[in-house]
Amino acid sequence: MSLLRAWATLVFLTFRRLLWSASTLMVLFPLAGCMLFVLRRHHNRDFSTNEFRNFSEFMILVFASFVVPICALAFGTASVGGDREDRTLVFVLMRPIPRPLVLLAKFLATLPLVLGLVVGSFWLCCQLAGETGQVAFPLYLPALVNMTLAYVCLFHLFAVTFRHSTIIALIYALFMELLLGNMPGIVKRAAVNYYGRSIMYAAGKEDGLPSPDPRWFESLPVETASWALIGIAVAGLLLAIVIFSRREYRDLT
Amino acid sequence: MQVAHTSQFDQDHSAHHAAESRMLLSFERVTKFYGPVIGVNNISCRVGPGITGLLGANGAGKSTLIKLASGQLRPSQGMVRIAEHDAWSTAAKHHLGYSPDVNSFYEEMTGREFVETMARLSGYSRREARERTEFVLAEVGMADRAGRRLAGCSHGMRQRIKLAQALVHDPWLLLLDEPLSGIDPGGRREINELLLRLAEQGKTILVSSHILVEIEQLSNSILMMSGGRIVASGTLTEVRNLMQFRPSMIEIVAEPTRRLAALLAEYPDVQGVEVRESTLIVRTRNPLDFFAHVAELVCRHGIELRRMQTLDGGADAVFDYLQQGRP
Repeated sequence: MSLLRAWATLVFLTFRRLLWSASTLMVLFPLAGCMLFVLRRHHNRDFSTNEFRNFSEFMILVFASFVVPICALAFGTASVGGDREDRTLVFVLMRPIPRPLVLLAKFLATLPLVLGLVVGSFWLCCQLAGETGQVAFPLYLPALVNMTLAYVCLFHLFAVTFRHSTIIALIYALFMELLLGNMPGIVKRAAVNYYGRSIMYAAGKEDGLPSPDPRWFESLPVETASWALIGIAVAGLLLAIVIFSRREYRDLT
Repeated sequence: MQVAHTSQFDQDHSAHHAAESRMLLSFERVTKFYGPVIGVNNISCRVGPGITGLLGANGAGKSTLIKLASGQLRPSQGMVRIAEHDAWSTAAKHHLGYSPDVNSFYEEMTGREFVETMARLSGYSRREARERTEFVLAEVGMADRAGRRLAGCSHGMRQRIKLAQALVHDPWLLLLDEPLSGIDPGGRREINELLLRLAEQGKTILVSSHILVEIEQLSNSILMMSGGRIVASGTLTEVRNLMQFRPSMIEIVAEPTRRLAALLAEYPDVQGVEVRESTLIVRTRNPLDFFAHVAELVCRHGIELRRMQTLDGGADAVFDYLQQGRP
């Protein structure tokens, strides 16, 4: 018997179950909505500062601030939370795989799925937008990848901590992220999307994306914002691993 | 088969027992709190090779004990060990097969896929997992039906699949939480035969149930729980002896009623007789002897006996009685 083989099986099993789950269907709606919007408003437009600005603002305010957390939430909480709600986590926990590795497997199965959907749909939006999109794609991709990573880790933390993690995460994504991320002052630093938006505004600046009003949104330097996102991801994942390793799940059976 | 309490536990240090302890599930002064509520209360016992029945009414603490043994819960006090390993540890899971009482699966899979997946999660290669899966499916009598999706399987089939996944990595310790519920009599006999076969091979099997008869057919060694404590343990005969002197309420419908009431009142084990029209409610301390005595009276005095039944013969009443006898 091999631990590596067992662990790889768990990664593959989680990936397959998430891919063919209701979560996939759920995230396809907002992603398709974004594409339809781009198709209608930005389809194959020639590059201009105004067009770039409009496309960028849609990508920052809707895609990055709303669609990315929804995608991360749908799979990030379902990887562990779904098993908890279905009461099937017990079958995994009864196998000789250390709990930290169980959570790591769940995370590594979720990440490519969410990244694939986010990056894939962003790429499609950029393709639909024509020249403007092709300029925007490399500029905003690093920020979106970093944000996705941070959200997936954060929502795994939610999943191992809360019984009804999907609802808690939804409230967090819809209210806390949007509310805190748009509050003046230092409060917005509690929102993941603040760091992502800081990177995206800085990335688009040279191509005509105006900086937001500093009274409402004071951007962080790109390097600081990037490290903050990586820090949230690492801290969130480590905390999730620690909690999952020590916690009794009384609701399993 | 072996079930021992603390007093014996502390005294057994022989080489024989040291060797046997490699195959023991042991609870050492285990207490589990759920917030302010106590789930199990200072339990010390050990379970060795063979089948041990874990009996108790709903809420007695059986499931908590099984969850502690399977490492889903950690004791608030004390220690649960599977051989030399802490039950919570990953190392313990190599030796443990667990069949939960919940009826949840990866519903999209077939029974065969589910068991094979569990084998692969135990670290077997694809080929080994397939071989082991076919072997255990045949053992639980599901080889020809395991291609069906779990969502469409009957309760009995799902119970067998649960048992198969618990056996697939060939553990020496099996923890089975209500494994016979929902299985028809024929299937129950097959599962019992399988468990007896596994016990003969030297496996340690702890089976929980709230039905005494189920355990009776399987095991001569039982742990009886009530209120989070083990209220009786040992062989079935020993526990039966405790139950034999439990005061029982027996209803008798006979003619002439008053004549029989007078005769029964003279019997020393009868604690009281109540006459309700043509029915007698008798309270006796020794029901087995009482039944024999009634039979004798009926024959000797020409009494027409229409019905005789125990009013409080259920498991709950037995558990309550046994609990009263404990501190």
